[in-house]
Amino acid sequence: MLKPILLVEDNPHDLELTLIALEKSQLANEVIVVRDGAEALDYLYARGDYAARQRGNPAVVLLDLKLPKVDGLEVLREIRTTPDLRAMPVVMLTSSREEQDLIRSYELNVNAYVVKPVDFKEFVRAISDLGIFWAVLNEPPPGSHRYVRPQN
Amino acid sequence: MTNASTTLDLGSCDREPIRTPGSIQPHGFLLALDAGGTVVQASENVESYLGKPPEAVLGCTLADAVGADAAVQLLPELGRGQVRERPGFVATIRLATGGTGGFDVLAHYYDELTMLEFEAVTRSGAADFRHVFPLVGDFLQQLDDNDTVEDMSRTAAREIRAVTGFGRVLVYKFDNDDHGHVLAESNDGSLPSYLGQRFPATDIPKQARELYASNRIRLISDANYRPARLVPADNPVTNAPNDLSFAALRSVSPVHLQYMRNMGTLASMSVSLMVKGRLWGLISCHNAAPCHVPFDKRTACEQLGQILALRITSREDADELQFRLEVRRTMVSVLAGLTQGADFVENMGSVFPQLLHFARAGGAAVVVDDRVVTFGDTPDEPQIRALIGWLDQHTHGDLYHTDRLAEQFPAARAFQDRASGLLAMPISRIHKHYLLWFRAEFVHTVDWAGNPHDKETVPGAPQQLSPRTSFASWRETIHGRSAPWHPGEIEMALEFRTALLGIALERAEQMAELAEELGRANKELEAFSYSVSHDLRAPLRHIVGFSDLLLEAAGSDTPEKRGRFLKNIKESARLAGKLVDDLLSFSQMGRASLRPVRVNMNDLVRSCVDKLMLDTQGRNVQWHVGSLPEIVADPTFIQLALYNLLSNAVKFTGQKDPAIIRVDGRTSAAETVFEISDNGVGFNMDYVHKLFGVFQRLHRMEDFQGTGIGLANVRRIVERHGGRVEAQSGPRGGATFTFTIPNTLPSV
Repeated sequence: MLKPILLVEDNPHDLELTLIALEKSQLANEVIVVRDGAEALDYLYARGDYAARQRGNPAVVLLDLKLPKVDGLEVLREIRTTPDLRAMPVVMLTSSREEQDLIRSYELNVNAYVVKPVDFKEFVRAISDLGIFWAVLNEPPPGSHRYVRPQN
Repeated sequence: MTNASTTLDLGSCDREPIRTPGSIQPHGFLLALDAGGTVVQASENVESYLGKPPEAVLGCTLADAVGADAAVQLLPELGRGQVRERPGFVATIRLATGGTGGFDVLAHYYDELTMLEFEAVTRSGAADFRHVFPLVGDFLQQLDDNDTVEDMSRTAAREIRAVTGFGRVLVYKFDNDDHGHVLAESNDGSLPSYLGQRFPATDIPKQARELYASNRIRLISDANYRPARLVPADNPVTNAPNDLSFAALRSVSPVHLQYMRNMGTLASMSVSLMVKGRLWGLISCHNAAPCHVPFDKRTACEQLGQILALRITSREDADELQFRLEVRRTMVSVLAGLTQGADFVENMGSVFPQLLHFARAGGAAVVVDDRVVTFGDTPDEPQIRALIGWLDQHTHGDLYHTDRLAEQFPAARAFQDRASGLLAMPISRIHKHYLLWFRAEFVHTVDWAGNPHDKETVPGAPQQLSPRTSFASWRETIHGRSAPWHPGEIEMALEFRTALLGIALERAEQMAELAEELGRANKELEAFSYSVSHDLRAPLRHIVGFSDLLLEAAGSDTPEKRGRFLKNIKESARLAGKLVDDLLSFSQMGRASLRPVRVNMNDLVRSCVDKLMLDTQGRNVQWHVGSLPEIVADPTFIQLALYNLLSNAVKFTGQKDPAIIRVDGRTSAAETVFEISDNGVGFNMDYVHKLFGVFQRLHRMEDFQGTGIGLANVRRIVERHGGRVEAQSGPRGGATFTFTIPNTLPSV
């Protein structure tokens, strides 16, 4: 059973490009897309529209920094202060090179901070690397579902 | 020198019972009548006038005492209520006992006795008051409106000498320390001149000054007289010594008589000059030989004294008014200068010349925030700092002033030439901020009639009281003093301080406002650069991404996919362009100045609606626009704000059929309130605090297009007009935006 990747992205163009990049990296993981911070938290807490979802945390959260309503940093803070979610890998995926965003993300113990490259090839590579590292290579925290390599 | 001065010495003068001497001067005699008209007291010298001892007179009627003829002249004038506290002339009589001269009879009522004073006069006829009026008339005629107090005093001295025949007439004034200063003199040369000299305050004891104030004229005809005691010694009605305050014949202290003899003046007369209820000075007459001035002439002198005092009052009032007007004029120009520029200390510096003029000072300094700025003749900077330190410790209140700084602050001796006088004005309640004025030392010589510092060493005489013996002029040079600060200057300085604190307060408020404005601008600048790095990067990245995808696939993709990619590219490019535009307009909004005029809001809303209808073709939008009040505002900005709010409403009612948008307005006393409400999707009130932030969106991009700057613009426009903006969303959607415009715009 592959653990899903949670993609939190509000911008439709970014979403499309990210999904295309993930597709290109040929990861088999399910990608769950949520469109803002509030929805992301609903998913993580398995509440609201996601009350009936399968139990367990995603392999990684790809989190856009700038979101309507609850922004990426607030979602990150929420994750890090919730015992069941605290250990989950979170990658900040953003357009911002602002030092302040970087500092605040690391203060909240982000696992990685990736600035979306402007060049599309680089963008695809970045997303692909991220997916492979966090969803495949990375050993998830204990208590999570074990990663099972799919049979080709 | 003064004829009534008792004297100096050992402080006992202040306790001498000068109102109740128990005797009179013997150039006349006194009879006191009780309510029934019986003589109950007489001076012991009646014998020399009436030929019978005082004991023989006591118990008599007036007729028995002075003869029926005289009594017939007097009695009708002594009826109830006719005799007052101050002596009035009753008649000139001749006595049955003979003698060549007549008697001017004066009556006054005091301590339940009718006191009759019989002053011997050489003329045989009645006192003639006709020359009172020419004297006063002449005097008034000689005065000019432009005369100084000295001029007027000189004229008065001359007139009085002519009327009385005294050898020397002085007019002198008491200064603030009660020292006497001779302002004017008329002198026939028989006595030395005292013009310009000063007499120490101690020459006239306190109770003598009080007596001068209540009884305005006093004559001593002959300093060598032998006082005539009253028989019995006490007032038989009150059983206390008679208060002779108002008796013309009242005897004076033997000390004073000695004083007169020492001065070589055997006769003296003084007329009190009362200005605004205060003993301002005296007209003081002296003669080397004994000299009697009859009642009628004394009355003339008294009248003249009153006229002079009135003229002095009006002259001093006019001078004071003129002075204060001048000071105020200067103060107004200083205050006007102070509000010119931004830097208070620099402004202060620009009005230094007026500041000096304002306080008639030689130097001035402003001490603010450890900055010391000086102008004119001042102590140097370290000295000023030391002075500030001392002031801070030793002075309290709104103002400190002295005309002898070194006496208070010994370190000031080092710069007393420049700054013997100091007017220090604290201009902050918290900090050591001061405005200082310095007055240079005013070295002057004082001509004392006798050395005032020696008087304590004079005793040794056998009597308890010893009069001054030396009147030789003694010259003293005064150091470490400046010209005194005028009460008008002090008052004006206090007023100035209030105005100054007002300015400072206003300035502080402006600073706070500026700081707030600056903080806001800074935040916006941050948001600005953030959005350039973030928001603008996104559409560019999308353009590049979808272009690459198009190139990469080159024909292998479906036409639908290619079409979508192209559409994405176009959208992204448009968004990037709009972002740049919005950013520009937002930054302009902060800089451009408002041009407020009367704005018809109905017209403004109509034009916005017309424009929006072009974008909403095919949609069912119902507009409900009430009758909107006029406001005073910048129409371009207000239109932009309205447009943003209305297009917001149009945007968020996109899924509604019909969309209902209402615009209403109402005016209260202070502000005009506008309300734009819709039945759209509304927003989550949890995030209302983000609503008006720059580049904040509460909805997903594809749901509602926009750069997230529109509401930030609205807030900026409204706040620049001094108003506020609020948003409200109900639980079932719909949004209401309210903004207010004050009826009086802020002056920014």
